[in-house]
Amino acid sequence: MSDSTSTVRRIEDGLPDHLGAVPEAGPAAEVRLRVTTLGFERAAHVLRAAGARFITLLLSDTPEPSLVGAFALRGALVALRAPLAGVEPVTYGALSQTWPAARWAEQELVERFGVRPVGFATAGPLTSPDADRIERHLQGLDGFTIPYGPVRSGVFEAIQFQIETGGETVPAVQTRPFFKHRGLERRFAGLPSDRAVHVAERVAGTATVAYASAFSQAVERALGVAPTPSAERWRAVYAELERMAAHLDVIAKEAETSALHVGQARFQILKEQVTRLRARLTGSRFARGVIVPGGVRFEGRLGLEDLLRGLDALERELVRDRRLFLATASMTDRLIGSGRLPRELVEEYAAVGPVARGSGVSTDARHERPYGDYRRLGLQVVTHREGDAMARVNVRFGELLESLRILRQSVDHLRRNEHELATPLPPGASGAAFGWAEAPQGELVIWVEVREGLVHRVHIASPSLRNWALFHHAFPRDVLTDFAFIEHSFGLTPAGADR
Amino acid sequence: MLRWMLRGLGRGRVTTRYPERPEVAPDGFQGRVAVLDPAGGQPELAALCPTGAIAVDGGGRVRLDRGRCILCGECVRAAPERFGFESRYETAARSRAALVVPQQRGDEPPRMALGQAAAALKRSVHVRHIDCGSDGCEEWEIQALWNPYYDIQRLGFFLTASPRHADVLLATGGVTAPMRAPLERTWQVMPEPKALVAVGTDACSGGLAGEGGPVAGGVDRVLPVDVYVPGSPPSPIAIMHGLLLAVGLLGERRPAA
Repeated sequence: MSDSTSTVRRIEDGLPDHLGAVPEAGPAAEVRLRVTTLGFERAAHVLRAAGARFITLLLSDTPEPSLVGAFALRGALVALRAPLAGVEPVTYGALSQTWPAARWAEQELVERFGVRPVGFATAGPLTSPDADRIERHLQGLDGFTIPYGPVRSGVFEAIQFQIETGGETVPAVQTRPFFKHRGLERRFAGLPSDRAVHVAERVAGTATVAYASAFSQAVERALGVAPTPSAERWRAVYAELERMAAHLDVIAKEAETSALHVGQARFQILKEQVTRLRARLTGSRFARGVIVPGGVRFEGRLGLEDLLRGLDALERELVRDRRLFLATASMTDRLIGSGRLPRELVEEYAAVGPVARGSGVSTDARHERPYGDYRRLGLQVVTHREGDAMARVNVRFGELLESLRILRQSVDHLRRNEHELATPLPPGASGAAFGWAEAPQGELVIWVEVREGLVHRVHIASPSLRNWALFHHAFPRDVLTDFAFIEHSFGLTPAGADR
Repeated sequence: MLRWMLRGLGRGRVTTRYPERPEVAPDGFQGRVAVLDPAGGQPELAALCPTGAIAVDGGGRVRLDRGRCILCGECVRAAPERFGFESRYETAARSRAALVVPQQRGDEPPRMALGQAAAALKRSVHVRHIDCGSDGCEEWEIQALWNPYYDIQRLGFFLTASPRHADVLLATGGVTAPMRAPLERTWQVMPEPKALVAVGTDACSGGLAGEGGPVAGGVDRVLPVDVYVPGSPPSPIAIMHGLLLAVGLLGERRPAA
């Protein structure tokens, strides 16, 4: 606790006087600052100059209708809040004029909530995509636009890429998410938090545990409840297994794309083994129905020794398959140098997860703002500097081994004789807070407002949407046939982005 | 390449023999929910379910609509004497009504268009997938059908990139507004005979997202569905079961209550 208090003080002391913000009380590792809508843009830019990473923009109702900007800064989440009383229509100086990271968050405020940021450059609709609206942006190019998606070749989630090409190079790509917008943030409203967690689990199924953990953590922080230690350990176990499954999925897809059939089969086998471990632990192949605000609903149903044996078997196979993968030139040739993202670009767009870590940006929510069992677990953040698809795959290989290491530590912690599953939530309590988790796709942040025991408002800042914002920059010297390799190396999920 | 080949051979056979031999789910696997005791239910039981899958009629008879069930376990935890998880994979059925348990007489007969023509397909069935608004799990489980554990190609199912070559369409997710037209068009260009399989509870009924909001509801709100595979998500064996039902390679068993 003292750790995060000192972080808060350090940030407050370090901010220049001209920020013009009033500090407010907030949960640990959350710095809350109040500004006016007129001062919002300037304060955001002061934070940016101080090294803050943009996370999201949202409208909140707690403690009063407000515009909230969330930023990551030196081990804390800084929430900049501007009350909206008397501001109609909601207006403030647009951040995206100079900060590309804020672009889609701002456009969502405009399209879904009628906010009018001053200086916001309007563009084609983001949140109501039309598969048949074909655009051409490049003048004089002797080429055409390929609308790739929303019905893809193969079994993929719905998203559309409009690829402008003359046949070889890819001078322009437009990413169009939101084909799968299901209105899930509104679906939370009015539910008690132990039922609302079912919605969280179904925002992005391949990150079920990350969503359930971040949502639960937000509720716990809002109501001032600490989950039990044993629950935090189980959450870490499920989170690392989920990360392994997602990373193995990316590697299997890369192998598939280069027609490396045995390699594809090998990594699919490993992924299925992880999935089956999850099913034996929780009864669900995606570890659904376990995590709940306050703790977990039950302990893992597989003995710890059996779990360890499963991990040992995985590691033996993984190490050999990885060595073979990295020694197969027909595979690595397609990844090395493809989809190169310079570090500056990644920082400008505030990318997260393996996309950022593959460009040398060492950002990881488990390390930056340690939560749950990660406060006690030794964690090494894996980064590579090259910024290409190979680097992003290498980050995942490194993290697979790191996950195994974390899992063994967690199992070790679980041997202690504590079996308390969950801390009860105070009935009828109110509060609001951010919760977060490092999903396989990157940092996930969820804002939750609870009123008298019921969820009132939820906002999700998904790693997928934030990373897709810079996807169109990933083809500087690449050709059309590199597209699939580069897309898989991002490893994102439209379900999370679209909500 | 040789090293990869040896690596592949070294692992031996992992592939399931389903459907020749049953595939047994591990203990505690939450495959589907059963009504253990349908008699004498109080109307309040219906409120246990966040998706409205539980209904209690005037006579106190409890029925569960597996097409709406997201396997969240709320009912199992609150009324364990009445509801229980069943550790089994197969969940598919040829009609929406057949997903409501316990079964009653007079449920509508299944559509059999593709099943009757399946003999002509000679175990070469081409499958196309469309995501209408899933949470992303169903895609993983469908992809898994072509991994070495399930290897559905051994049963003659092939994935095709073009709907014009497809016999079966696997649709996942409740239908969102921007996906409605692409769904209709994909179905329209598929040659006859063809079958539509709704994969996952969301595709069967809209699931948690519900009906009439940003999500119109299940796929059958837009197109006639031949086989429903409920589950959140359904396991790969459940989807395989659904595909086999769709092409008439399996007789439909009476669903157990």
